[in-house]
Amino acid sequence: MSMKFETTLDTLLNASSTASRFAEKRANLPVLGCILITAEGSRLILRATNVECGVEIVIPAKVATEGTVAVPASVLAGFLGNARGKVVSANLVGEVLKVETERANASIKTLPHDDFPVLPRVSAEHSFKIKSGDLVRAIRSVAYCASLSAIKPELQSVLLYGDAGKLTAVATDSFRLAEKQVPLRAGGNVPELLLPARNAAELMRILDTVSAEVELYYNDNQLSVQTDGVYYTSRLLDGAFPNYRQILPKSFSTEAVVLREDMSSALKSLSIFADKFAQVSLSLDTAKKSMFLSSRNPDVGEQISTVKASIQGDSVAVSFNGRYLADSLQAVAGDSVRLHSNGPGKALLIKDAGDDSFLYLAMPMNR
Amino acid sequence: MTTTKELWENALVELELTISKPNFNTWFRDTHIVRVEDGTVALGVPSQFARDWLSTKFHKDILRSLRTLSDSVRTVEYVISRGPKRNSEEVRTVPPPVTELPLEAVHQKSNLNPRFTFSTFVVGPFNELAHAAAQAVVRKPGIAYNPLLVYGPTGLGKTHLIQAIGNHFRVSAPERKVFYVTSEKFSMDYVSSLQAGKVQSFKEKYRQYDLLIMDDVQFLAGRDKIKEEFFHLFNYLHDGNKQLVFSSDQHPNVIQNLEDRLKSRFNAGMIVSVTPPDHQSRLAIIRTKAAAHNFILADEVLEYLATTIEGNVRELEGALNTLMIQFEMRGQPLTINDAKTLLRGAGSAQKKAVSVQEVVKIIANFYGVEEGSIYEKTRRKEVVRPRQVIMFLLREDFRISFPTIGEKLGGRDHTTVIHSCDKIKNDLRQDSVLNNELHQIRLMLK
Repeated sequence: MSMKFETTLDTLLNASSTASRFAEKRANLPVLGCILITAEGSRLILRATNVECGVEIVIPAKVATEGTVAVPASVLAGFLGNARGKVVSANLVGEVLKVETERANASIKTLPHDDFPVLPRVSAEHSFKIKSGDLVRAIRSVAYCASLSAIKPELQSVLLYGDAGKLTAVATDSFRLAEKQVPLRAGGNVPELLLPARNAAELMRILDTVSAEVELYYNDNQLSVQTDGVYYTSRLLDGAFPNYRQILPKSFSTEAVVLREDMSSALKSLSIFADKFAQVSLSLDTAKKSMFLSSRNPDVGEQISTVKASIQGDSVAVSFNGRYLADSLQAVAGDSVRLHSNGPGKALLIKDAGDDSFLYLAMPMNR
Repeated sequence: MTTTKELWENALVELELTISKPNFNTWFRDTHIVRVEDGTVALGVPSQFARDWLSTKFHKDILRSLRTLSDSVRTVEYVISRGPKRNSEEVRTVPPPVTELPLEAVHQKSNLNPRFTFSTFVVGPFNELAHAAAQAVVRKPGIAYNPLLVYGPTGLGKTHLIQAIGNHFRVSAPERKVFYVTSEKFSMDYVSSLQAGKVQSFKEKYRQYDLLIMDDVQFLAGRDKIKEEFFHLFNYLHDGNKQLVFSSDQHPNVIQNLEDRLKSRFNAGMIVSVTPPDHQSRLAIIRTKAAAHNFILADEVLEYLATTIEGNVRELEGALNTLMIQFEMRGQPLTINDAKTLLRGAGSAQKKAVSVQEVVKIIANFYGVEEGSIYEKTRRKEVVRPRQVIMFLLREDFRISFPTIGEKLGGRDHTTVIHSCDKIKNDLRQDSVLNNELHQIRLMLK
């Protein structure tokens, strides 16, 4: 076995640190903890997968001897991350990959690559086009709501579906729910796709660096996207996302508009005083035209914050997990938010006051 | 004809030998045969990753192993399928619970024994309060008495009662999740989740319930890690207004090695005791149990059972079962004498050697009369009753003959003893105070 190439340190570092996020650290199969590097023509192909999602990155390189090698991802990315200089060269001798940078030489033990799986390809049959920034925004606005529990896998994922020129992203952990709509460029009707939240986060990081329009291909089980130099693919969950539209309240007894910044900074400082359940009581006082937020921890003390608000409807007081409220605000782009309540024990609906594309539903604490 | 399941299991055994273990575990987990048609085996795999890799890398091995097992197999195709175990979930139609979005209800196994319901639960003075508390819990779960703790000695229907709460709840609120667990099972679950490194899913499993019933919580005492886990679980559910129901063989305050924080939490709800049933309740219990099996007993025999087997309902049930089997074998009604022979040695009859003097001393003490006066010829009322009780107990529990009893208690005639025993036996039927007294005396004699 032999292989020899030379490339710029920066590109190889970027590619291998991206790929290493896809490698499975504690895999049954040791080769899944590796990055598979293939040198051919005038390019390098780096592949990594944890069998849930996978990535393939192509970078330019000066290839002296073509070949393939599986290198432990953490070792390679860790070494390159601390290296200096512009150029890196690598030479495979037997089972050892010798990597040379300006100031350091490393010999990395490699693994047999026969067991490294192929990355699934998705046929071009079904696809949609979207501005990558929009898709990133959609996922970022909702993904934090996905459940961490493995009991209901469908709640561990981000739901994507598209119709009428809009792509909708939804996630919920059954205590709160977020929905964001962004414009679709092409591909009209997209059926419900359940993208595991972890994989959605990786997709977001990959698309974050791309400014152009991207095309996503999907079938019943797999979703993939090709940007310049990076191919990403993820498994889709089969399973039914709950029919959440049914539980969105239609009418409200109280509506309030507050400045996002005011509420957000109040919640931040309230978190200092919150108890271990992060309980924050929220009360909307119609007469005083104010929203009062308070938290109390017997060991620390308590705080009450007043936020000016324009309120219509009945005065109301409900307790929430403060983090759930704060989470929603970071997804709001406008300067003010609209709160809709139906009284104690009912969910609070939070919207961007100037923009209907985002909504957030938080359930109260029942004490 | 082997089923497709067996076919695949056998094929897996063979494949496991030819393929390295890591590879096998990574790619063959969650695979199954979806169908077999015209020599084509459709193999269900969990993802496209698995499909692509199995078909490029292991297709030959799979085909070979299937063909050695079944000649009719010509080819294998791969389909992505999650396997048969996942059911589609029903949509919730009832009003939402408070802290969760009403997304859907997943029916979980509740671990309850459907045999234990309120309708088969015999209510008597001994368990009236516990029953009433249980009913209140069923009407207002999470609000009325939370937690509810039922305590009392073994075999008095604690498990029956707390499971009845669960069964009732399951019917009245089918969308809610009920779970019954013994503290032993809870501990084992915790330990195995620790070993498997799945503590998080253990926590989640128990935190999802709307009604958690835990039997025999006294066994939690002394196990620090488990107590701590239980403590957090308790807080979580209690704060979420989820109903908690417990049983224990002692009042929590007297359980050894139980932290004060747990005791105080038990005390925050409702603690009710079940005491051993009185004579009337025992009769009622035997009647109900017999009726449940369509088993008819002579009143005499019922009476005998209720009198001889005291305290423990489980023992009553056991005695009844013995009689039932005999009845079925013989095919003719049992007489009181049959019952007596069959149940010899059953019941709470004392076989421990206790001297007559000791019995006299204990009972005299109990009634607050001088020990000496029992042996005297006095017929003062406050002495006569204790003396009769002594005779009754010596006869019933210690099987001492009438003449001997008479002789030991100051040289009385055996007919006096017979009369005393009958008197107490009769009084026992209506006098609940006397019943109680006897019960306590018997406890002291044990």
